[in-house]
Amino acid sequence: MAIPMAMATPTDSVTRVWSMSSLRSALPSCRLPSSTSRRAVTLRLPVSTPSPLLPSFSGLSPVNPLISTGLPDWKSFESGFKIIDGGGRVYAMRHGRRVPKLNRPPDQRKALLRGLTTQLLKHGRIKTTRARASAMRKFVDKMITLAKDGSLHKRRQALGYIYEKQIVHALFAEVPDRYGERNGGYTRIIRTLPRRGDNAPMAYIELV
Amino acid sequence: MSVNNRDPLVVGGVIGDVLERFTRSIDLRVTYGQREVTNGLDIRPSQIINKPRVEIGGEDLRNFYTLVMVDPDVPSPSNPHLREYLHWLVTDIPATTGTNFGNEIVSYESPRPTSGIHRLVLVLFRQLGRQTVYEPGWRPQFNTREFAALYNLGLPVAAVYFNCQRDNGSGGRRT
Repeated sequence: MAIPMAMATPTDSVTRVWSMSSLRSALPSCRLPSSTSRRAVTLRLPVSTPSPLLPSFSGLSPVNPLISTGLPDWKSFESGFKIIDGGGRVYAMRHGRRVPKLNRPPDQRKALLRGLTTQLLKHGRIKTTRARASAMRKFVDKMITLAKDGSLHKRRQALGYIYEKQIVHALFAEVPDRYGERNGGYTRIIRTLPRRGDNAPMAYIELV
Repeated sequence: MSVNNRDPLVVGGVIGDVLERFTRSIDLRVTYGQREVTNGLDIRPSQIINKPRVEIGGEDLRNFYTLVMVDPDVPSPSNPHLREYLHWLVTDIPATTGTNFGNEIVSYESPRPTSGIHRLVLVLFRQLGRQTVYEPGWRPQFNTREFAALYNLGLPVAAVYFNCQRDNGSGGRRT
Protein backbone atom coordinates (compact mmCIF):
# COMPACT_ATOMS: atom_id res chain seq x y z
CA MET A 1 0.00 0.00 0.00
CA ALA A 2 1.43 3.19 -1.07
CA ILE A 3 1.17 5.92 1.44
CA PRO A 4 1.25 9.13 -0.37
CA MET A 5 3.87 11.28 1.08
CA ALA A 6 3.29 14.94 1.07
CA MET A 7 6.45 16.40 -0.18
CA ALA A 8 7.19 19.66 1.36
CA THR A 9 8.78 21.70 -1.29
CA PRO A 10 9.42 25.12 -0.05
CA THR A 11 8.85 27.51 -2.84
CA ASP A 12 10.97 30.12 -1.30
CA SER A 13 14.07 28.96 0.41
CA VAL A 14 14.27 32.03 2.58
CA THR A 15 10.79 32.16 3.99
CA ARG A 16 9.96 28.48 3.84
CA VAL A 17 6.28 28.95 3.13
CA TRP A 18 4.04 26.05 2.41
CA SER A 19 2.48 26.01 -0.96
CA MET A 20 -1.04 24.77 -1.41
CA SER A 21 -0.34 23.55 -4.91
CA SER A 22 2.39 21.21 -3.79
CA LEU A 23 0.11 19.81 -1.11
CA ARG A 24 -2.69 19.35 -3.55
CA SER A 25 -0.51 17.58 -6.01
CA ALA A 26 0.84 15.25 -3.36
CA LEU A 27 -2.50 14.01 -2.11
CA PRO A 28 -4.19 11.56 -4.48
CA SER A 29 -7.57 12.63 -5.80
CA CYS A 30 -7.87 15.14 -3.10
CA ARG A 31 -10.59 17.50 -4.06
CA LEU A 32 -10.37 20.48 -1.84
CA PRO A 33 -13.28 22.85 -2.17
CA SER A 34 -12.55 25.75 -4.40
CA SER A 35 -10.69 28.07 -2.19
CA THR A 36 -8.51 30.88 -3.12
CA SER A 37 -4.89 30.83 -2.16
CA ARG A 38 -5.39 34.07 -0.30
CA ARG A 39 -7.47 32.27 2.33
CA ALA A 40 -5.58 31.34 5.48
CA VAL A 41 -4.64 27.69 5.62
CA THR A 42 -6.97 26.11 8.09
CA LEU A 43 -6.70 22.61 9.39
CA ARG A 44 -10.03 20.78 9.17
CA LEU A 45 -10.40 18.34 12.02
CA PRO A 46 -13.29 15.89 11.92
CA VAL A 47 -15.66 17.06 14.64
CA SER A 48 -18.20 14.50 15.87
CA THR A 49 -20.77 17.06 17.05
CA PRO A 50 -20.14 20.23 15.15
CA SER A 51 -20.47 23.00 17.67
CA PRO A 52 -22.41 25.89 16.23
CA LEU A 53 -20.01 28.29 17.87
CA LEU A 54 -16.80 26.98 16.35
CA PRO A 55 -17.15 25.49 12.89
CA SER A 56 -13.45 25.89 12.31
CA PHE A 57 -10.83 25.39 14.95
CA SER A 58 -8.15 28.01 14.82
CA GLY A 59 -6.31 27.30 18.04
CA LEU A 60 -6.93 28.82 21.43
CA SER A 61 -6.03 32.35 20.51
CA PRO A 62 -8.94 34.74 20.40
CA VAL A 63 -10.20 35.43 16.95
CA ASN A 64 -9.41 38.90 15.81
CA PRO A 65 -12.68 40.80 15.75
CA LEU A 66 -11.57 42.58 12.62
CA ILE A 67 -11.82 39.32 10.73
CA SER A 68 -15.49 38.52 10.41
CA THR A 69 -15.89 34.83 10.89
CA GLY A 70 -19.63 35.04 10.63
CA LEU A 71 -20.21 33.91 14.23
CA PRO A 72 -22.99 35.95 15.83
CA ASP A 73 -22.07 35.19 19.45
CA TRP A 74 -18.68 36.79 19.70
CA LYS A 75 -19.68 40.20 20.93
CA SER A 76 -16.75 41.29 23.02
CA PHE A 77 -13.58 39.96 24.55
CA GLU A 78 -13.30 41.89 27.77
CA SER A 79 -12.79 38.66 29.69
CA GLY A 80 -10.21 37.18 27.38
CA PHE A 81 -10.71 33.72 26.07
CA LYS A 82 -12.62 31.18 28.16
CA ILE A 83 -13.20 27.50 27.67
CA ILE A 84 -16.67 27.06 26.29
CA ASP A 85 -18.22 23.63 26.56
CA GLY A 86 -21.87 22.80 26.21
CA GLY A 87 -22.85 26.46 26.06
CA GLY A 88 -22.10 27.33 29.76
CA ARG A 89 -20.45 30.71 30.11
CA VAL A 90 -18.03 31.63 32.84
CA TYR A 91 -17.38 35.29 33.48
CA ALA A 92 -14.80 36.88 35.70
CA MET A 93 -17.49 39.13 37.28
CA ARG A 94 -20.60 38.06 39.18
CA HIS A 95 -23.03 38.93 36.36
CA GLY A 96 -26.33 37.14 36.80
CA ARG A 97 -25.35 34.87 39.68
CA ARG A 98 -28.14 34.87 42.23
CA VAL A 99 -27.18 32.18 44.72
CA PRO A 100 -25.96 33.77 47.99
CA LYS A 101 -22.72 32.13 49.02
CA LEU A 102 -22.71 33.36 52.65
CA ASN A 103 -18.91 33.10 52.80
CA ARG A 104 -19.06 29.35 53.16
CA PRO A 105 -18.38 26.27 51.06
CA PRO A 106 -21.48 24.59 49.67
CA ASP A 107 -21.84 21.88 52.29
CA GLN A 108 -21.55 24.31 55.17
CA ARG A 109 -23.90 26.72 53.44
CA LYS A 110 -26.55 24.05 53.13
CA ALA A 111 -26.11 23.05 56.75
CA LEU A 112 -26.34 26.68 57.89
CA LEU A 113 -29.56 27.24 55.99
CA ARG A 114 -31.03 23.99 57.26
CA GLY A 115 -30.23 25.00 60.82
CA LEU A 116 -31.65 28.48 60.38
CA THR A 117 -34.93 27.25 58.90
CA THR A 118 -35.23 24.66 61.65
CA GLN A 119 -34.79 27.32 64.31
CA LEU A 120 -37.20 29.72 62.64
CA LEU A 121 -39.87 27.08 62.40
CA LYS A 122 -39.23 26.15 66.01
CA HIS A 123 -39.18 29.61 67.57
CA GLY A 124 -41.24 31.66 65.15
CA ARG A 125 -38.94 34.66 65.24
CA ILE A 126 -35.16 34.76 65.16
CA LYS A 127 -32.51 37.45 64.89
CA THR A 128 -29.67 36.94 62.43
CA THR A 129 -27.67 38.94 59.95
CA ARG A 130 -29.52 40.46 57.03
CA ALA A 131 -27.75 38.38 54.44
CA ARG A 132 -28.68 35.14 56.18
CA ALA A 133 -32.25 36.27 56.75
CA SER A 134 -32.80 37.12 53.11
CA ALA A 135 -31.07 33.91 52.01
CA MET A 136 -33.27 31.67 54.12
CA ARG A 137 -36.60 33.04 52.91
CA LYS A 138 -36.62 30.73 49.96
CA PHE A 139 -36.11 27.62 52.06
CA VAL A 140 -38.65 28.55 54.71
CA ASP A 141 -41.24 29.11 52.01
CA LYS A 142 -40.30 25.81 50.50
CA MET A 143 -40.87 23.98 53.79
CA ILE A 144 -44.23 25.63 54.31
CA THR A 145 -45.23 24.75 50.77
CA LEU A 146 -44.32 21.13 51.44
CA ALA A 147 -46.45 21.22 54.56
CA LYS A 148 -49.34 22.72 52.65
CA ASP A 149 -49.30 19.76 50.30
CA GLY A 150 -49.32 17.36 53.21
CA SER A 151 -48.76 14.05 51.45
CA LEU A 152 -46.40 11.38 52.75
CA HIS A 153 -43.79 12.00 50.10
CA LYS A 154 -43.68 15.68 50.96
CA ARG A 155 -43.49 14.88 54.63
CA ARG A 156 -40.48 12.69 54.01
CA GLN A 157 -38.87 15.39 51.93
CA ALA A 158 -39.36 17.83 54.79
CA LEU A 159 -37.93 15.31 57.24
CA GLY A 160 -34.85 15.12 55.09
CA TYR A 161 -34.28 18.84 55.35
CA ILE A 162 -35.32 19.90 58.85
CA TYR A 163 -33.16 18.66 61.65
CA GLU A 164 -35.85 17.92 64.26
CA LYS A 165 -38.72 15.68 63.31
CA GLN A 166 -41.12 17.04 65.93
CA ILE A 167 -40.97 20.36 64.20
CA VAL A 168 -41.90 18.73 60.91
CA HIS A 169 -44.89 17.00 62.45
CA ALA A 170 -46.01 20.17 64.20
CA LEU A 171 -45.56 22.10 60.97
CA PHE A 172 -47.64 19.67 58.96
CA ALA A 173 -50.34 19.82 61.60
CA GLU A 174 -50.75 23.58 61.84
CA VAL A 175 -49.86 24.97 58.41
CA PRO A 176 -53.22 24.27 56.69
CA ASP A 177 -55.03 26.38 59.29
CA ARG A 178 -52.49 29.10 59.54
CA TYR A 179 -51.43 29.58 55.93
CA GLY A 180 -54.32 28.03 54.06
CA GLU A 181 -55.35 31.19 52.26
CA ARG A 182 -52.01 32.89 52.02
CA ASN A 183 -50.16 32.38 48.74
CA GLY A 184 -46.47 32.70 49.37
CA GLY A 185 -44.67 35.30 51.44
CA TYR A 186 -44.77 33.40 54.69
CA THR A 187 -41.96 35.36 56.29
CA ARG A 188 -41.33 38.94 57.20
CA ILE A 189 -37.94 40.57 57.67
CA ILE A 190 -37.51 43.56 59.97
CA ARG A 191 -34.16 45.27 59.87
CA THR A 192 -32.72 46.29 63.18
CA LEU A 193 -29.65 47.77 64.83
CA PRO A 194 -26.21 46.43 63.90
CA ARG A 195 -24.48 43.91 66.11
CA ARG A 196 -22.08 45.38 68.60
CA GLY A 197 -19.09 43.05 68.08
CA ASP A 198 -18.61 43.44 64.35
CA ASN A 199 -21.22 46.00 63.28
CA ALA A 200 -22.96 43.39 61.16
CA PRO A 201 -26.38 44.54 59.95
CA MET A 202 -28.97 42.47 61.77
CA ALA A 203 -32.57 41.63 61.08
CA TYR A 204 -35.45 39.81 62.66
CA ILE A 205 -37.08 37.22 60.47
CA GLU A 206 -40.44 35.94 61.57
CA LEU A 207 -43.23 33.79 60.28
CA VAL A 208 -46.05 35.93 59.14
CA MET B 1 -50.04 61.98 62.76
CA SER B 2 -51.58 58.89 61.25
CA VAL B 3 -49.94 55.54 61.04
CA ASN B 4 -48.55 54.77 57.58
CA ASN B 5 -47.29 51.51 56.17
CA ARG B 6 -43.71 52.11 57.22
CA ASP B 7 -44.58 52.68 60.83
CA PRO B 8 -42.70 50.32 63.16
CA LEU B 9 -45.96 49.16 64.70
CA VAL B 10 -47.21 48.02 61.31
CA VAL B 11 -43.86 46.54 60.27
CA GLY B 12 -43.52 44.67 63.53
CA GLY B 13 -46.97 43.22 63.16
CA VAL B 14 -48.37 44.83 66.31
CA ILE B 15 -51.11 46.50 64.28
CA GLY B 16 -52.89 43.45 63.01
CA ASP B 17 -52.08 41.06 65.81
CA VAL B 18 -52.98 43.21 68.79
CA LEU B 19 -54.38 46.55 67.69
CA GLU B 20 -56.22 48.24 64.89
CA ARG B 21 -54.84 51.19 62.97
CA PHE B 22 -55.09 54.30 65.02
CA THR B 23 -53.93 57.88 65.12
CA ARG B 24 -51.30 58.73 67.66
CA SER B 25 -52.43 61.67 69.73
CA ILE B 26 -50.75 61.43 73.13
CA ASP B 27 -47.06 61.16 73.94
CA LEU B 28 -45.99 57.99 75.68
CA ARG B 29 -42.56 57.61 77.24
CA VAL B 30 -41.59 54.30 78.81
CA THR B 31 -38.27 54.02 80.60
CA TYR B 32 -36.71 50.91 82.08
CA GLY B 33 -33.97 52.21 84.34
CA GLN B 34 -31.89 54.36 82.05
CA ARG B 35 -33.13 52.99 78.73
CA GLU B 36 -36.02 54.59 76.99
CA VAL B 37 -38.12 52.10 75.10
CA THR B 38 -38.38 52.69 71.36
CA ASN B 39 -40.24 50.48 68.94
CA GLY B 40 -38.49 47.20 68.33
CA LEU B 41 -35.84 47.65 71.02
CA ASP B 42 -34.16 44.50 72.30
CA ILE B 43 -34.31 44.15 76.09
CA ARG B 44 -33.32 41.24 78.30
CA PRO B 45 -35.61 39.92 81.04
CA SER B 46 -33.02 40.87 83.65
CA GLN B 47 -33.54 44.51 82.77
CA ILE B 48 -37.32 44.46 83.05
CA ILE B 49 -37.77 42.83 86.41
CA ASN B 50 -39.20 45.99 87.88
CA LYS B 51 -41.97 48.07 86.40
CA PRO B 52 -40.95 50.88 84.10
CA ARG B 53 -41.46 54.56 84.54
CA VAL B 54 -44.23 55.68 82.22
CA GLU B 55 -45.00 59.30 81.44
CA ILE B 56 -47.85 60.35 79.24
CA GLY B 57 -48.62 63.60 77.52
CA GLY B 58 -51.90 65.35 76.96
CA GLU B 59 -53.04 68.67 78.39
CA ASP B 60 -56.07 68.33 80.56
CA LEU B 61 -55.65 66.75 83.96
CA ARG B 62 -59.27 65.77 83.92
CA ASN B 63 -58.75 63.21 81.17
CA PHE B 64 -57.93 59.73 82.37
CA TYR B 65 -56.03 57.06 80.54
CA THR B 66 -55.54 53.32 80.80
CA LEU B 67 -52.24 51.58 80.15
CA VAL B 68 -52.20 47.93 79.11
CA MET B 69 -49.08 45.80 78.73
CA VAL B 70 -49.52 42.53 76.85
CA ASP B 71 -47.39 39.85 75.28
CA PRO B 72 -48.96 38.55 72.06
CA ASP B 73 -46.41 35.77 71.55
CA VAL B 74 -47.10 33.42 74.43
CA PRO B 75 -45.96 30.71 74.79
CA SER B 76 -43.87 30.92 71.62
CA PRO B 77 -44.09 33.14 68.52
CA SER B 78 -44.38 30.07 66.33
CA ASN B 79 -47.34 28.79 68.30
CA PRO B 80 -49.10 31.62 70.15
CA HIS B 81 -52.14 29.77 71.35
CA LEU B 82 -52.25 31.66 74.65
CA ARG B 83 -52.31 35.03 72.89
CA GLU B 84 -52.16 37.49 74.66
CA TYR B 85 -50.77 37.50 78.17
CA LEU B 86 -51.61 40.49 80.33
CA HIS B 87 -48.61 41.74 82.26
CA TRP B 88 -49.80 45.06 83.62
CA LEU B 89 -52.95 47.14 83.74
CA VAL B 90 -53.09 50.64 85.18
CA THR B 91 -56.20 52.78 84.98
CA ASP B 92 -57.22 56.31 85.93
CA ILE B 93 -53.94 57.87 84.93
CA PRO B 94 -54.40 61.63 84.67
CA ALA B 95 -52.95 63.33 81.63
CA THR B 96 -49.40 64.71 81.83
CA THR B 97 -48.60 62.39 84.72
CA GLY B 98 -47.41 58.83 84.99
CA THR B 99 -48.46 55.44 86.21
CA ASN B 100 -47.55 56.34 89.76
CA PHE B 101 -50.68 58.43 89.86
CA GLY B 102 -52.90 55.74 88.43
CA ASN B 103 -54.71 52.78 89.83
CA GLU B 104 -52.77 49.57 89.25
CA ILE B 105 -55.48 46.99 89.08
CA VAL B 106 -53.35 44.20 87.58
CA SER B 107 -49.92 44.28 89.16
CA TYR B 108 -46.77 44.26 87.06
CA GLU B 109 -45.47 40.80 86.29
CA SER B 110 -42.03 40.74 84.76
CA PRO B 111 -41.96 38.86 81.46
CA ARG B 112 -39.94 35.67 81.38
CA PRO B 113 -40.11 34.31 77.83
CA THR B 114 -39.02 30.70 77.55
CA SER B 115 -39.00 30.18 73.80
CA GLY B 116 -38.31 32.54 70.94
CA ILE B 117 -38.37 36.31 70.79
CA HIS B 118 -41.51 37.84 72.25
CA ARG B 119 -42.97 41.24 71.52
CA LEU B 120 -44.21 43.21 74.50
CA VAL B 121 -46.72 45.91 73.67
CA LEU B 122 -47.71 48.87 75.82
CA VAL B 123 -50.97 50.48 74.75
CA LEU B 124 -52.59 53.63 76.04
CA PHE B 125 -56.33 54.14 75.89
CA ARG B 126 -58.41 57.11 76.83
CA GLN B 127 -61.14 56.50 79.37
CA LEU B 128 -64.54 58.15 79.25
CA GLY B 129 -64.60 58.80 82.97
CA ARG B 130 -63.09 57.71 86.23
CA GLN B 131 -63.36 54.18 87.54
CA THR B 132 -64.97 52.79 84.45
CA VAL B 133 -62.45 50.01 83.82
CA TYR B 134 -62.28 46.79 85.80
CA GLU B 135 -59.80 43.99 85.86
CA PRO B 136 -60.28 40.87 83.78
CA GLY B 137 -60.57 37.50 85.43
CA TRP B 138 -57.24 36.05 84.33
CA ARG B 139 -54.01 37.00 82.57
CA PRO B 140 -53.64 34.66 79.59
CA GLN B 141 -56.03 34.65 76.62
CA PHE B 142 -56.46 38.37 76.98
CA ASN B 143 -57.85 40.19 73.97
CA THR B 144 -57.03 43.87 73.77
CA ARG B 145 -59.63 44.61 71.13
CA GLU B 146 -62.43 43.03 73.13
CA PHE B 147 -61.22 44.70 76.29
CA ALA B 148 -61.37 48.11 74.61
CA ALA B 149 -64.79 47.40 73.18
CA LEU B 150 -66.08 46.16 76.53
CA TYR B 151 -65.16 49.30 78.43
CA ASN B 152 -65.79 51.73 75.57
CA LEU B 153 -62.17 52.74 75.33
CA GLY B 154 -62.23 53.06 71.56
CA LEU B 155 -59.08 53.13 69.50
CA PRO B 156 -55.72 53.46 71.24
CA VAL B 157 -54.11 56.87 71.54
CA ALA B 158 -50.52 55.64 71.81
CA ALA B 159 -48.58 52.39 71.60
CA VAL B 160 -45.01 51.17 71.78
CA TYR B 161 -43.50 47.71 71.65
CA PHE B 162 -40.18 46.05 72.34
CA ASN B 163 -38.64 42.61 71.95
CA CYS B 164 -37.56 40.32 74.71
CA GLN B 165 -35.88 36.92 74.70
CA ARG B 166 -34.33 34.60 77.22
CA ASP B 167 -31.21 35.68 79.01
CA ASN B 168 -29.23 32.55 78.31
CA GLY B 169 -29.94 32.28 74.60
CA SER B 170 -32.42 30.05 72.91
CA GLY B 171 -31.00 26.80 74.14
CA GLY B 172 -29.91 25.27 70.84
CA ARG B 173 -31.10 21.92 69.73
CA ARG B 174 -33.11 19.96 72.21
CA THR B 175 -34.82 16.88 70.93
